[in-house]
Order: sequence, then structure tokens, then C-alpha cells
Amino acid sequence: MLGRRGLWGNLTLTVAVVLLLLFCLFPFVQILSTSLKYQADWGNPSLIPTQFNWDAYLELLGWGETEELAIPPSIERLLDRPGLTDAQRERILAPYRETADIFPFPRYFLNTILLAGVAALIALALAVFGAYAFSRVRFTGQAIIQRSILFVYMVGGVLLMVPLYQIAVGVGLAATPWGSVVALVLIYVIQTLPVSLYMLGNYFRTIPYSLEEAAAIDGCTRIETIFQVIIPLSIPMLVTVYIYAFIIAWNEFLFASVFLRQYDDLYTLPLGLQTLFVSKNAIWDRIMAASILTLLPVLVLFTFAMRNLTGGLAAGGVKE
Amino acid sequence: MKPQTVLERAENRFGWQLVAPSLGVIGLLILYPILYNVYLSFFDVQLVGDNVFVGLENYQRLLTDSAFYDSLTTTAIYLLGTVAGTTLLGLGAALLLNQDFPGRNVVRGLILLPYFAPVISVVFGWQFIFDPVNGVYNYMVVEVFNLTDERMNVIRDPDLGVIVVIVFDIWKHFPIAYLLILSKLQSINTDLYEAAAIDGHGPWGRFWHVTLPELYFVLGTIVILRFIWNLNKFEEVFLLAPNVQTLPIFTYYTAFTGVIDQGLAASVSVIQFVLLCGLIWFYVKKVLKW
Repeated sequence: MLGRRGLWGNLTLTVAVVLLLLFCLFPFVQILSTSLKYQADWGNPSLIPTQFNWDAYLELLGWGETEELAIPPSIERLLDRPGLTDAQRERILAPYRETADIFPFPRYFLNTILLAGVAALIALALAVFGAYAFSRVRFTGQAIIQRSILFVYMVGGVLLMVPLYQIAVGVGLAATPWGSVVALVLIYVIQTLPVSLYMLGNYFRTIPYSLEEAAAIDGCTRIETIFQVIIPLSIPMLVTVYIYAFIIAWNEFLFASVFLRQYDDLYTLPLGLQTLFVSKNAIWDRIMAASILTLLPVLVLFTFAMRNLTGGLAAGGVKE
Repeated sequence: MKPQTVLERAENRFGWQLVAPSLGVIGLLILYPILYNVYLSFFDVQLVGDNVFVGLENYQRLLTDSAFYDSLTTTAIYLLGTVAGTTLLGLGAALLLNQDFPGRNVVRGLILLPYFAPVISVVFGWQFIFDPVNGVYNYMVVEVFNLTDERMNVIRDPDLGVIVVIVFDIWKHFPIAYLLILSKLQSINTDLYEAAAIDGHGPWGRFWHVTLPELYFVLGTIVILRFIWNLNKFEEVFLLAPNVQTLPIFTYYTAFTGVIDQGLAASVSVIQFVLLCGLIWFYVKKVLKW
């Protein structure tokens, strides 16, 4: 009835699909390719390296021996000048230092995992109870609260950067490293809480009410019902929401740069990578390798969460 | 409605106990800061010492500052470009991948990749593509097609940079538009297409009279939500092209770099917040129809 595609139809379809895939995947291929190239090869538009260079990965992961860059004789002579202070000497040498000490990838990786992991966990714990109340309990002011959640869900972090910074300074959190970390965890919690409430609330509504009635007849209190019926039935969705909240925090750059700028031991990956990029020129292979290593955990998590996530996103609308 | 019976009162109390922690956190760290921001915008905020009340002076300075107007223009170009591009490409991709062909599921999965990749892990790849020395963009434009004579640093250029940012943003976000549109497309009853075909409509007519009306709600949602999210975008613009100053980047520079002026930055945020509220109001009234 609706007709089948002819030869031309098939051809157009194939070309369109290939173009779309090319557009989506080319940047990834480019990143992977550059991460494996030697410097001489960077300007070569071919995506296959003429010679594979694994040094960038080995160096970032701390496995390779890092070779010192040779210091040119002119610079050596400059350093021998007697009037130089230590600070000046340090500044002249900085571009020739190995990158490992300015980009300790494993440490940044761990920092980011801890920050994002703790924040997502707190958000999830708060959201389970809030979402249960929205989907199952009737209380005055429920409608207005739910709409307020939708509203704050659309207020981005950028609008809050000045007041949150001022508040953190005011209560003294911004002055110490650990205070800054606490402030950052709290900020990640509020960035992920509204979307967690929203996604979980939608999911809880799909759990049959009769299961809870059965639990009530068996003598469970409401709180026990949450722990013994709702939570066990929602494990896949809880994992999904956790991963989603984790990724939001994993990606965050703005507040990390505001609060952690002076504490380089505490840098998260986005902040570390950006610092590496602006402080050193022409180390594309390291930057691309670091990009790939930042991408991988998210891809792994994403393949786990994929099935639930796409359904949840399509049902809900999305926080970014 | 006030709770009447003992049971209803207990239920009411239980509900409030459950939402209280979430509400507390949101109230303290979102609603209060929004109000505090309005308050700060009336002050000359000092990094050390007491703030000085200046009334509307921050706003007056903004309204006479050409950099602020430039930022508004950049924001408008960025929003229009990204929203139109994301929606259209999302629609195209959804229609395309709604067709039946071998390997369709793999393709459907792969094109979600840009959306889920962390911004930080892809921006430097895009920087490399447009790098004046090594990038493939300049290679194509200069060496292959001879469109210009010399290699350009397009990302650093304040006028052209915004175009790169728009393309990047479309690349990054069309998958979510595609996903929402595709799931709606799959729910359209094929009888409608059969009926339209019997009425003599070709493929174009079927698209115009069946598909588009069915997609009206989801397209409206995508357009308005993209306006809202993109107005709030910071990372993607700042990390890719620090010279492209949309409102959030303008605020960031004012608040944390150079001559730090957090009072002025707060007043930019207030103006952005008013714009955002307008968009949210439009979304609630016209799309959600509350």
C-alpha cells in the first residue's frame, strides 16, 4: 500500500545514513587517531598514523618511562646567568618539564570518581523518599511542590555561580580545601537532585499499587514498604538514575573551576584537562589520549544504563 | 483541600516528612541563592570587607556597556542557530532511522554517542579539527578546495567562533531531539498513513498531514527546552571557544577574572533569570498547557 523503496530510494537512504554516521563519529575517530600519532604526523590529514605512538597513554597512566625533553643549548646558557632567581629559572624550565607532574591523570580520575560518586549517592538517597511521596502519598501542597521542582530543574547552575560562591565565602567553606570539596559536593547534589526526583517519580508510578497493599496487609509500615517493596523492584532504575547523576557531576567544569582552582591536588578531570590545555602548547597527543581516557568510563557506564536510560529520557525530558 | 480524617492527616504528615530533606536542600541551595543573587545585584560586592549599597547602578552600567549588548547578540545568534539546527537535524535523523534497513539498530546506538560523551572529552578534539596548524578543517579549506589563501584560527575569531560553537552544539544535542522524535514516530498508528494514501496523498502529503501534526507536541517541547538548556550552557561554549561570550560566559568573566565585579555579574544573572522565567512560562502555558 505505502510502496516499497526503489533503487534510488535505497541509494539516497544509504548515502544519508553514511553522512549522518560520518558527522557523528568523525570527531571521535580524529581524537583516537591523534592520540596515537607522533608530533611529525599531526598535520597529516590521514586518520591512520604512519607510525603508532603509545607514549601518551603510557605516560598518562604512569606506566612508561617519561623521557625528558632536551633543553636547547641557548636555554642552558640562559640558565647559567648568575642573576637569575630560582623562580625565574623555574619558569624558563617549565615548558621542558615532563607533563606527568602537571597532569597526574590517576589522581584526577580518582578525585572525580569520589566527588561524583558521593554527590550522586546523596542525591539518589534524598530522591528515593521525595519521589515516593510524589507518586504515592497525598499531602497538601503536593501539586505546587512538584511544579516548583520542575521549575528549579530548569534553572541552570550558571545563574547560581555568583550567589553560591558568595555564600560559600560567607560561611567560610571556600577558604579551606576540604570546605571547597564539601561546597562542591553540595552543589553537585542540587544539580542532580531535581532530575533524580523527576525520573524516579515517573518510575515509581509504574509499580503496581496492589504490591504495596499486599505488603500493608502483611503488616509492613509505609517506610518498610519503601525499603522492602519499592526499592528492590526499582534497582535497575536506581542504578540508571545513579549513573545519570554521576555523569552530570563527572562532566561538571564551572563550579570545579570556581572552587578548586587554587588546590591542584583536588582537581577533577575536566579542570585538570583544561589546565593542561591552556598551560602547555602543542601536546595534542597527550590531550587526545586524556580525552579518550575520560570518555571510556562514561561509555562503559552508559552501555550498562542504556536500556533503561533511553526509555527514561524519552519519557521524561532531560537535565543537562 | 484540608485533610479531614485521622488517616488523611497521618498521610499528610508522612508525605511532608518524605519530601522535607529534598525541599530543604533545594530551598537552601537553589531558591535562597536566586533571591540572594537579586539582593547582591544592588550592591558593589567587595571581596574583602562590607558590600556597599549602590541601588540600580549595576544595571545602569550594564545598559550603557556595549560588551553587554554584544553578549546579548551573541546569545541570540547562538540560541537561534542551535535550536533550529538541533530540531531539524533531529527530525531528519528520526525520519531516516525510522526506515527499515539492515544494521539499523547499530546506527541508532552509534549516533547517540556525541550526546553521551563528556563535553571535556570531545571539545579538544574539535579544537584540533579547527587548529590552524594541524587541523583538517584548514587543510580542506586551504589545500583541497582553495577557498581562502591562508589558514585561519576560526575558533579564536569572535565572529566565526560562534558558528563553530553552533555546529558543535548541534552535533552534541541533536541525538536527544532525534531520540524524542523517534519514540513519538514509532507510536503513530500506521492506519493514519494508509488512510492518507487512500485519500491520494504522496509521501510529502503524508508527512505534512499526518507526521507533522502528530509530532507537534514533541517538536514544541524540544524547541522550548533547547532554548532553556542552551541559555544555561556554560561548559560547551567556554571550553570550545573562550572568545564567544554568551551571557553565562560574560557573567563568568565579570565575576571571576580580570577586574572582579560580582555585583555586576549578579545583575547579569538577574537579567538572564528573567529571560529564563519568560521561556519557562511560555513552556508551561503553551506546551504543557497547565
